[in-house]
Amino acid sequence: MRSQFDDNGQGPDISEVVAQVSETFKRNLRRLGPIIVLVLAAAVATLGFYQVGPGEVGIVRTWGAVTARTDAGLHFILPIVQQVDVVNVETIRRIEVGFRGDKIKPVEAQMLTGDENIVEAQMIIQYRVSDPEKYLFRLKDPDDALHASAEVALRSVVGRTNIDDVITTGRGRVQTEARQLLQKLMDQYDSGLSVTEVKLQAVDPPDEVKEAFHDVVRAREEKEQLINQAKGYQEDVIPKAKGEARQIEREAEAYREQRVLRANGDAEKFKSILAEYSKAEQVTRRRLYLETMQRMLSKIEKKVVVDQSIADSAVPILPLLGQGAAPVKGGQ
Amino acid sequence: MNRVGLVILLIVATFVGIDSVFVMQEGQVAILTQFGEYKYSVNAPGLYGKVPFADTVHRMERRIIGSDTPPAEFLTRDKKKLVTDPVTRWKIIDPLTFYKTVRDESGAKARLDDIINSELRGVLASQDFSEIIGSARDPLMQEVTRAARKQALRFGVQIVDVRIKRADLPTEVQESVFKRMQAERSRIAKRYRAQGEEEAQKIRADTDKDKAILLAKAYELAQKSRGEGDALSIKVYADAYGGDPEFYAFTKSLETYEGSIDKETTMVLSTDSDLFRYLDDPKK
Repeated sequence: MRSQFDDNGQGPDISEVVAQVSETFKRNLRRLGPIIVLVLAAAVATLGFYQVGPGEVGIVRTWGAVTARTDAGLHFILPIVQQVDVVNVETIRRIEVGFRGDKIKPVEAQMLTGDENIVEAQMIIQYRVSDPEKYLFRLKDPDDALHASAEVALRSVVGRTNIDDVITTGRGRVQTEARQLLQKLMDQYDSGLSVTEVKLQAVDPPDEVKEAFHDVVRAREEKEQLINQAKGYQEDVIPKAKGEARQIEREAEAYREQRVLRANGDAEKFKSILAEYSKAEQVTRRRLYLETMQRMLSKIEKKVVVDQSIADSAVPILPLLGQGAAPVKGGQ
Repeated sequence: MNRVGLVILLIVATFVGIDSVFVMQEGQVAILTQFGEYKYSVNAPGLYGKVPFADTVHRMERRIIGSDTPPAEFLTRDKKKLVTDPVTRWKIIDPLTFYKTVRDESGAKARLDDIINSELRGVLASQDFSEIIGSARDPLMQEVTRAARKQALRFGVQIVDVRIKRADLPTEVQESVFKRMQAERSRIAKRYRAQGEEEAQKIRADTDKDKAILLAKAYELAQKSRGEGDALSIKVYADAYGGDPEFYAFTKSLETYEGSIDKETTMVLSTDSDLFRYLDDPKK
């Protein structure tokens, strides 16, 4: 506007043109009248009408101050006097901390844990505008503020946690606490944003030490493996030993029963024989003796009968007859 | 020419009209100066009038502004180096002072950076590294915020808060941290492996012990059974043979004789023996 004003002071060229334009304008006013009205109306309409989509809210300012809030539909504002900002309050917005797309951003991702180790964390924040007025007029660059605050929150929570917890069991807690802290900060800044979800994507040791961490995992598995092998040994040995023990016991029991039964048998046999023997002691005794001798002698192939008178001189030649000689001195 | 003059007058009137009002938007504050001299501040949105051309409106941000101080190295109490990257959120509460002292946002940011860095230096130097990283972070930052807030009032600025975005080790120290981490991990790995061996050994030892006990108990029972068997049989034999020990000796001897010979045996019999007593002398 200023520049136009300056140009105007330049000279007669423009004033002539203006004169000519106003001449023509005057001449044709009657015919142009309706057209001008139409053009003006169209201009007001295009500038004044605006649309608010589903899930959006229009914030109307009149002379710079917020005066109305409009919902989905077609609305009208007075051009120049009023302005409108349409803000989507339902779309879930998303930012990434520590990575962009599938590339890790080491400077943003690396952080110190409570026990002075370094981890790489990646986090996704989902949020939406919950208060469009605050979103527009209370905080400058709310989305940037959210990103910076997300980093603040994550680092603050990780800084209080030990590396083993961050990597394993404490992840859920880190996530919850980061979310709480982030929301607290965003409220403190009047951002009009509400965090709907904080997702800790990955918390890993940096590449430089990854191998050492994997080795710990392997060692833990090896430990389990060793224990399992030992348990396998146990499960192999004990049942076998139980079987063996049972066998030893049962064999001994069998021996006992056998001994007793045999003894009983022998005893019964002896008793029976003895009963009859005592009825005719001498005869039976002789008979038993002779019968035994008969059975024995019939089995033996070589028998030598030596007269008592030469018995003493015959002894030296006896070994020539063969082995297994059993001198028997007869009877009683 | 008269008509041209009219048009020029109209145009001038329009500009004067436009320049005699101004609109304050939501989220803005302004001060109004007349030929450079401060007249008044405007804090609320709306339509305001002013003296055309004489008055100038200086608009400023009313919203909370964030400034990201560039990372700097600090020394902690335990003489460790720490790189921190503070973020400060602040807003203009006194537009005139702000305008007089720092004029605009970038001027304010530069001054605030100085204040925050010096406050941070003092506070961080009073704490150990591990505390700054961990539990003491929040209270420390509150301390920095409080101290910086007092000083920032000189610029018409209210500090909402100061936070450490990053608190990291300088790159040259990272290498030693990685070494330490590796050493720590290898210690843990060794512990796991040793624990595994310990557990396994224990289980094996228990197993061997259990096995030995099982077998020994079985042996105990077995010997007891055998003993019982032997004892009982001795008793039974003794009872039975006690009826006539001489007859037992006789029969058992016969059995033994019979049992100890086979067909290879050579038997030398004396004619003197009982078997042949009738050989020489058939008489009774």
